[in-house]
Amino acid sequence: MSSETTHTLQVCRSCGGGAPLDVHFCPQCTKILTLGRHGDFFSYLGLPRKLALDTAQLEQNFRTLSRQFHPDYFYNATPAERRASLERSSYLNDAYRTLRQPTSRIEYLLTVEGMPVGGDGAGGTQVPASLLEEVFALNEELDEVREMRGGGAAAEQWKPRLERARRPIEARRDAHAAELQALSAEWDALVERGAGPDDRRPVLAALRERMLERNYINNLLAGIERELAG
Amino acid sequence: MSRVVGIDLGTTNSLVAFVEDGRPVVLRDRGGDALVPSIVSIAADGTTVVGREAQRRLLTDPQRTVYSVKRFMGKGFEDVSGEAAMLPFRVAGEAGGVVRIGLGERELTPPEVSALILRELKHRAEAHFAALGDIDPEVSGAVITVPAYFNDAQRTATRDAGRIAGLEVLRIINEPTAASLAYGLDKRKAGLIAVYDFGGGTFDISILRVEDGVFQVLATNGDTHLGGDDIDMLLVQQVLAELQTTAGALGSDERAFVQTVRKAVIAAKWDLSAADAAELRIGDYHRQVTRREFEAMIAPVIERTLAPCRAALADAGLDPSQIDEVVMVGGSTRIPAVRQRVAELFGRTPHTELNPDEVVALGAAVQADILVTGNRDMLLLDVTPLSLGIETMGGVVTKIILRNSTIPASGSEMFTTGVDNQTAVDIHVVQGERELVDDNRSLARFKLRGIPPMPAGLPRVQVQFQIDANGILSATASELRTQVAQTIEVKPSYGLTDDQVEQMLLDSFEHAETDFAARLLIDARNEAESVITATEKSMRAPEFADIVATEFAPGEQKRIDQALAGLKHVLASDDKAAIEQWTHALNDATRHLAEQMMNRSVRAALAGRNVDDVR
Repeated sequence: MSSETTHTLQVCRSCGGGAPLDVHFCPQCTKILTLGRHGDFFSYLGLPRKLALDTAQLEQNFRTLSRQFHPDYFYNATPAERRASLERSSYLNDAYRTLRQPTSRIEYLLTVEGMPVGGDGAGGTQVPASLLEEVFALNEELDEVREMRGGGAAAEQWKPRLERARRPIEARRDAHAAELQALSAEWDALVERGAGPDDRRPVLAALRERMLERNYINNLLAGIERELAG
Repeated sequence: MSRVVGIDLGTTNSLVAFVEDGRPVVLRDRGGDALVPSIVSIAADGTTVVGREAQRRLLTDPQRTVYSVKRFMGKGFEDVSGEAAMLPFRVAGEAGGVVRIGLGERELTPPEVSALILRELKHRAEAHFAALGDIDPEVSGAVITVPAYFNDAQRTATRDAGRIAGLEVLRIINEPTAASLAYGLDKRKAGLIAVYDFGGGTFDISILRVEDGVFQVLATNGDTHLGGDDIDMLLVQQVLAELQTTAGALGSDERAFVQTVRKAVIAAKWDLSAADAAELRIGDYHRQVTRREFEAMIAPVIERTLAPCRAALADAGLDPSQIDEVVMVGGSTRIPAVRQRVAELFGRTPHTELNPDEVVALGAAVQADILVTGNRDMLLLDVTPLSLGIETMGGVVTKIILRNSTIPASGSEMFTTGVDNQTAVDIHVVQGERELVDDNRSLARFKLRGIPPMPAGLPRVQVQFQIDANGILSATASELRTQVAQTIEVKPSYGLTDDQVEQMLLDSFEHAETDFAARLLIDARNEAESVITATEKSMRAPEFADIVATEFAPGEQKRIDQALAGLKHVLASDDKAAIEQWTHALNDATRHLAEQMMNRSVRAALAGRNVDDVR
């Protein structure tokens, strides 16, 4: 690991020694390292950058690391060490929470790979091309339902229509889940055989595309829920 | 070496516990009582009393006596003005400010009242450690428990109370989590646990996963204004309705009557946990309450605890059937109907073998021990119960740290300026799950100062929010272009500033002198009461008659009766010397009896019988 990690060192504030990026305690003086330069959530938790994570491993590593630097165990330590323990624990907890959920895991992967879902104003408002037809039909239905309700129609009349309108969107959502899973497997295979950036980019782009669509579909479904409730 | 303790600062009762020889134990008085009623009374001469003595004054001096102060911690006046009518003490404060409680001439904030309770517990523990022969019996630090669903303001108020009491607050931990720690001591196995904590004033549900000694909270939910108090109030209102009056219609001198009613209904409530019917007798008013009647009346209160349970399970991604064990905590879980509803929800019989009043303090003591000794057998990983957010344009909340995030947790948000050369930005921090600011709890307003002058929109101020292991928020900020750190001035919405807390700490020392004389009297009275209780308990024991017949000298029983009557006679007086004399007399008179009782239990125990069977 030496040749790879020499350019990604963190510095121990206690003894001034250098340490590889993915360790938490100084190899020289054994003190907990201040969270300066650090690895991403995957490497911090000692996990490969894969989407089909071994969740048992994730939980196990989370517990092991919590036991290493939870603030409970630094109550009598120096202020610098207490601070380091607080920061390392916080980062660990953030990492654990993010990687535990499959969707936030994908979003995080896209972020660290430089293709964030929420970035450059994309997502949310613009209708994805693949969904144009469904969105058009749904909006028509919603308009008509609102008109019926405005005219004082009873719930029994408009509710079934909304329920019906929801079904094709839900079908799309389920199809998406399957597609995301297939793409995730594809990504993991690339990681496993150490594929280069040129091979990875199209898979990441496809993942990102699906995530944007997924967010849009969820917004549509939330809109229908609100209409049904209100 | 000084000591550290765990404190359960409850709505109704408070307890202190500590670890001795690796085991947590609750501190008891001579009579075996661990519960110190969370009641404070300030007499006309300014002396303060806490606990059983204050509880008595609830009937004789209700306007100078405060109970259930925990309900007011971290609250604004407008939050609580509604229930003030039912309370004998004055609840004051101005809109937008903290609550103040009027006790005679003094007005105290809830943290100050809680500090008086904490100081009492500290003193009791120190007296105990001194009696054990500690060279330094001082209690230097404490872990204090709070309901899991307490927000930042309520936690901060609790920490302030500890500081005002002169305690180093080692950690604020959640009550259900503390309970799980005490519960998990004996059985170190893996599994999913639900802790249902229904106390005097608050309700919590926490779902935990226990594995490798790590107690990891997966989700928590609750209601910080739901407890046995609500059941009592329902019953009080029912009685008042039958007497064709209401609390609001009573004048201030009739408030004492409400307390009499309250005392009577609480006794009936307790009776109904064991019996099918209870007698309710208040002056001329007399009626029987059946358990069925009682259960119908309180069903809505129990129902209110179930929605948080379902929400916590959903947040943890679990079905009720996946829970391996259900642990019951808090005095209200003694009610059979509560146990039954919980058993129905989870489809299994809940654990009730640990004393639901004591288990939280035991867990707090374990946590205190972990902090000072570095013992790594167990680790608590708790969560923040409510999402933390900031106000953005149009009064909408942007969430920074989501609820049920493991703490410590952090989050950051970028801010900029709206006007050229603007050097300060206001940030409004809220806690809650709703989308609009007004529907959430306002925590604080931060003023960011020292932003380098730049054209509008150019500064990039990153504010880092940090929730520590106590569940308490702090924030730091820096402008990324210039790397200049900003100062953050915090104005808590319903809390005290650091300066106020300091001043209160100083004030509490000034009052310490007058409090001291009162303390000595109370200590004498407590001592007397425990001797009375122990004596009466012995006299009720089945073997008492036999001891009298076979072991007593002529006139021995008469001497006990006389000493007992004499002590009871002086007990209510303020004559400390007389109380002490009569206590001494009763102690002497009963020494032989106590020895005989002891001998018999030892013999029984050696014969393979449980001591409890003999009692």
